[in-house]
Amino acid sequence: MNNSPSAVSARGVVKRYGPVLALDDFSLDIQRGEVVCLLGPNGSGKTTFIRLLAGFMSPSAGTLQVAGFDVQREPMQARQCIGYAPESAPMYRHMRVGEFLAFMARLRQVPARQVQEAVARVAEQLALTHKLDAPMPTLSRGYRQRVCIAQALVHEPKLLILDEPSNGLDPRQIIEMRQLIRSLARHYTVLMSSHILSEVARTADRVVALLGGQIRGQRDVNPSDTDLEDWFLSLA
Amino acid sequence: MNAFLVLTRKEFSAALLSPIAYTIAAVFLLVLGYTFSLTLFATKVANLNYIFHQMYVLSILLVPVLTMRAVAEERRNDTLELLLSAPVAEVWMVLSKFAATWAVMLAIYALSGVYALVLAWVGEPDWGPILIGYAAMALLSALLVSVGLLASSLTENQVIAAALSLGAFLMLWFADSVAPMLPAVLEPVALNLSLLAHFKPLVSGSVFLSDAMYFISLTLCALWLASRQLADR
Repeated sequence: MNNSPSAVSARGVVKRYGPVLALDDFSLDIQRGEVVCLLGPNGSGKTTFIRLLAGFMSPSAGTLQVAGFDVQREPMQARQCIGYAPESAPMYRHMRVGEFLAFMARLRQVPARQVQEAVARVAEQLALTHKLDAPMPTLSRGYRQRVCIAQALVHEPKLLILDEPSNGLDPRQIIEMRQLIRSLARHYTVLMSSHILSEVARTADRVVALLGGQIRGQRDVNPSDTDLEDWFLSLA
Repeated sequence: MNAFLVLTRKEFSAALLSPIAYTIAAVFLLVLGYTFSLTLFATKVANLNYIFHQMYVLSILLVPVLTMRAVAEERRNDTLELLLSAPVAEVWMVLSKFAATWAVMLAIYALSGVYALVLAWVGEPDWGPILIGYAAMALLSALLVSVGLLASSLTENQVIAAALSLGAFLMLWFADSVAPMLPAVLEPVALNLSLLAHFKPLVSGSVFLSDAMYFISLTLCALWLASRQLADR
């Protein structure tokens, strides 16, 4: 482990799928406490970068660090610092919500005596307490998304990674999700991805624009920004 | 180790709540009961030798159905992303799936023990070969389950996983039959890979360390390859 203050440090990351170059010389630093959004169209490399960071895939070249731990050389320590909510909000159909959260807590090495406490904490944080006994297949898309974020928070990670958290949600759920992410941002460093410009300005502190696997630009944002669309189009 | 126990518990509960294990157990025991009754009435001999050979064939046909979803389903449902982003070594994931699926097979074999009890009721069976036969079934199923897991780790399509494992089982079964057609240098390899050649002596009550080591080494090899397959991504 080095003494890097960054929550995330990516240096010259390259990812190839056979002949396809998904990420090209990608370098990015995220400071602790920041909410950073990767913005780009489908196929721009957002999910690829997130999967590399989460340890689900290995880079073809370059280095990635999470909280100072090298994702390749110290994978267990790096993964322990990460809470990851994939885009599809995956679940085990044979489990109930509380059971699923307890399973993920145990898997993420929450001590046995603290598992129920951790489940209750995230359930309250994400307004899921009344759903803990619900079978997973009965959940709406919005609740599935919440459960997926809850499992990512159950071990109190240093970095929360949300891949397209608003995808597939109806307008009311999108507003709730935005408020939820802003409330989480008070406690966690958040890296999220989105291709919805209006959501980015209202949710993130900084936006990183990706096109063709490369960073084309980055800037700080706030909810009153009205020129984000023009800025993004000027990069394309 | 803790991760292994957590994952194994999850795999067990998934297996117990799925109709697949019960269906396989029902088919297995039904076909076995039919064969057992026929054999007992026809031969009037108190041994389970025929039954073990029947169990061998049924295991080869049914284990792919049990193992096809092990990793392929996790991959298709994206739950593999959750597991592989948790601080858990891939080898524990593979071993937990192996332990749960192998336990299901052992439970099915244990249920078939009722036929041994029937033999004890109507005759005086020699228990030595019967116990060795069950040990041989345990070794055989360990090998089949591990190769099935390896096939399931190669694809997200369960049907392809089942076809791959069935193909591998049949090739191992008939390896000694094709041996004479191979170049001289490959002939001993094919002969030594034969599943049946190593199963037959065990199930007849002749215990050779080489036969036991065949099953154990191939099982470990398949489990190692499956865990490498998950790690190389």
